Amino acid sequence: MNDTERVTTGVPGLDAMLNGGFLRRSANLVEGAPGSGKSTLGMQFICEGARNGEPGIILTFEEFPEHYYRDAAAFGWNLRELERQNLLKVIMSSPEVTKADFENVGGTIQNLINTIGAQRILIDSITHFEGLRQDPVELRKLMYSFLNALKRQELTTVLTRESAHIFGTGAEHHQTDAGIQFLVDSYLMLRYVEIESAIQRAIVVLKMRGSAHENTIRQYEIDAHGMKVLKPFEGQEGLLSGTPKRMADSFMKAFVKR
Amino acid sequence: MRREDLTARVMKDMDPDLFDFLTTYMDSFIKWDLLRFFHENPHTIDTGENIARYAGRTVADVQIGLKSLVQQGLLEEITVDKMLVYMLKPDPTLRARLEQFIEATKDREFRRKVIYHMVRR
Repeated sequence: MNDTERVTTGVPGLDAMLNGGFLRRSANLVEGAPGSGKSTLGMQFICEGARNGEPGIILTFEEFPEHYYRDAAAFGWNLRELERQNLLKVIMSSPEVTKADFENVGGTIQNLINTIGAQRILIDSITHFEGLRQDPVELRKLMYSFLNALKRQELTTVLTRESAHIFGTGAEHHQTDAGIQFLVDSYLMLRYVEIESAIQRAIVVLKMRGSAHENTIRQYEIDAHGMKVLKPFEGQEGLLSGTPKRMADSFMKAFVKR
Repeated sequence: MRREDLTARVMKDMDPDLFDFLTTYMDSFIKWDLLRFFHENPHTIDTGENIARYAGRTVADVQIGLKSLVQQGLLEEITVDKMLVYMLKPDPTLRARLEQFIEATKDREFRRKVIYHMVRR
């Protein structure tokens, strides 16, 4: 297997930001506020795999699978049909059972992964895992072990993580922070930004281990077909704070390409 | 009219497969909840405590329902790291019968019959 092989996300515009897509067998963190589209991005990644003949798993904690079937249907993605074709399994479990399952040989979730030959997995969300340990050091060890188990299964992973803030002030610092952003291979952030009294959505790739990536902050939208990455924001600064300011005209004229 | 006669009259036009499923598996409202839950979320793999939370029922009641469904062969119970974990049996025939039953319960008249069956037990 080629270590630089790319796995396309299915999100128009995002693969270009990622220099062609996620790296195969990588763990990729998508962090964002409620309603920012983390699960949509994840489902799009799974459906893209199914289209390319790469079966996938959606592993959810607390969110009922029936909600994924319904939400996906709104974008025209028939998850039940993908399950019938053995291109997908939507599994609901709890972090403690998942952890134990992956640690033991022949676990039930692992068997499902092996049965359909899954190559992609969406973990929605890793935030629930953070309740397993209070001690950040122990939590980091646990996360490290879990991410390695996913790679052992030859999976390319999208992990979603909830951000407590509707408008961000940069990267999150959770109370029991395992520093998962340091453990993953790539780190994408979805943000709401307020520009001229309207809410817009911003996406940025903060990290991509072993690969170049775009470092602009781009707009994205979610329409009837899913998520779509649009052009970079122009003439704004402080976007990740959620309340950007327009750059001075003189600076714009001098440095920002029109 | 004797009770058996009334039951026979109420159930007489029911599909024999559905009637068999009803009389074999359905003897409590908790089990109805659990079967509907596992039908809608067929790849759930979790502890009784968590399933009770998902179903919005007490752990004690759900544990009884889960154990009974395991004995009846609809669910599997396995031990994962000292935790008892439940899941729907992967048997396609069984899952098809469950689907047929849950689909049938979308009909108000059929639901009334299921309720009548459970109340009279």
